[in-house]
Amino acid sequence: MIQFHNVSVSYQGDAALSDVNLQVRKGEFLFVTGASGAGKSTLLRLIFAGILPNSGQILIDGQNLTRMNRHQIALIRRSIGVVFQDFKLLPNRTVLENVALTLEVLGWGAKDIGKKVHHTLRQVGLEHKMNSTPVKLSGGEQQRIAIARALVNAPKILIADEPTGNLDDFNKELIFEILREANIRGTTVLVATHDRRYIDASHRDFVALEKGVVVEDTRERR
Amino acid sequence: MSGVKQMATRQRVSKESSFGRLRYFLDRAILNIRQNLFINLVTVLTISLGLLIISLFLLLLVNLEGVAHEWTRQVQVTVYLEKEPAAQNMTQLLARIKMLQQTDNVKYIKKDDALKRFRDRLKGQESLMEGVTADLLPASIEITLKRGSRDSESVEAFVRQLKQIPGITEVQYGEEWVRRLTTFMQFSRFVVTLIGGFLLISVLFIVSNTIKLIVYARKDELEILSLVGATRFFIKAPFLIEGIIQGFLGSLLALMLLTASYYTFLYNAADFLSLSPTSTGIKFLPPSYLAGIVCTGILLGFIGSLTSLKRFISY
Ligand SMILES: Nc1ncnc2c1ncn2[C@@H]1O[C@H](COP(=O)(O)OP(=O)(O)OP(=O)(O)O)[C@@H](O)[C@H]1O
Ligand SMILES: [Mg+2]
Repeated sequence: MIQFHNVSVSYQGDAALSDVNLQVRKGEFLFVTGASGAGKSTLLRLIFAGILPNSGQILIDGQNLTRMNRHQIALIRRSIGVVFQDFKLLPNRTVLENVALTLEVLGWGAKDIGKKVHHTLRQVGLEHKMNSTPVKLSGGEQQRIAIARALVNAPKILIADEPTGNLDDFNKELIFEILREANIRGTTVLVATHDRRYIDASHRDFVALEKGVVVEDTRERR
Repeated sequence: MSGVKQMATRQRVSKESSFGRLRYFLDRAILNIRQNLFINLVTVLTISLGLLIISLFLLLLVNLEGVAHEWTRQVQVTVYLEKEPAAQNMTQLLARIKMLQQTDNVKYIKKDDALKRFRDRLKGQESLMEGVTADLLPASIEITLKRGSRDSESVEAFVRQLKQIPGITEVQYGEEWVRRLTTFMQFSRFVVTLIGGFLLISVLFIVSNTIKLIVYARKDELEILSLVGATRFFIKAPFLIEGIIQGFLGSLLALMLLTASYYTFLYNAADFLSLSPTSTGIKFLPPSYLAGIVCTGILLGFIGSLTSLKRFISY
């Protein structure tokens, strides 16, 4: 589903990722971990072409991202849901409108959008907040709205960057539960987190980064 | 998986109806205007003030052109005839003059008429008229020229052609005056084009900068739209429609302000200033100009949006 071949990224000359090779199969649930500044966000950003690598190739579903034009990139982004580290919710739009954005881009009609958004908000337990604006919500609630926006069109791939950032254990568990459910429904899930304790407790596979280099991949042990 | 498939077909169906798309963009644009009412109001006002300045300039132009047109009407070529030709020859002569493409109107002034005119002009000073008989004044043909042929070059060319007609020897026109009028007209046309172009560019610049504020206020939205897979057209369309709406509203407001200021200040100003006894007062803009102003407004909004978006959409 996702393939990195010798991918390197540098920001203004400083290497953020060096010669990364990575494969993620369809239906996998994989953590990306590492200290702050290790390159987790950079790695995720490459997948939805938020940035382009300085060298190397990235294949999504067999298609080479680095050779795509703007239009093709727009189309591939429709099959990738992204939960950003800083949420990127629109403060002056309601929760409903924020989540609906993903479907509007696809050209859905208003009625279908309403039904689908309501359904998705129920999955994240926030259907009652549909008409409030994000600024009136708690951090954990905003996080779940961001997830709802990423999941609402049942993407092939879900990318979540620190989705449990500053949350308490209860909210953390709530969010991982939502991500797990999405994974069960067939979405390939990639989660960046520096929370090694949680990963260890969950007994799930992870890839560890250190200064832009993959230093550990639990899947290789098997 | 079936959910995904169902989604894919639904997506295709709704894409086919481009009317639905247009409807969506329109709704989006109107929503955006409502959500950013203040800055949109500022933009509409900016556009309308810009257009008002341009329309006042046009109003000035149209009226000056009217005056200039009056002046050039006085460009007249007179053919003096030593003796009155026979009626048949005369008809022929007039016909030949009429055949020249610059000719607008031809008027034959008989000796008697010339005398009568002379007398009218000297009314009250009849003593001067003593001894003046019809024989002393020559018969003449007065020729006015078509609108585009009143500059010195065309008049000279016309006179040359006239002189080639047998029977015509003496031709007169206010050479010096025509030359000066021509220079003046050319100069004013140049100045008007310069000022008009300058005005239009400054208005476009100001409008585009105001719209840039609108786009800037929503740059997060642009980014998110692009990240969830919107094409550039999809992102741009509502803004362009918004620009068109702003331009349209702005031009309507400009026309309202123009009409109001025309009827409150200018309409009666002509009598008030007693500009010229022949002038029929200050004219309003003809309908084609009004339509042009609305089109310019729409274009301003559209181009303003387009240039502002360039800065912010890049991925
Ligand atoms: N837009 C940018 N411009 C310049 N440098 C950047 C940019 N984004 C990231 N970097 C640098 O690249 C390196 C990797 O950053 P990245 O955001 O991928 O780290 P991270 O693992 O996500 O960290 P965190 O856990 O704090 O989110 C860091 O050294 C960072 O300073
Ligand atoms: Mg990060």
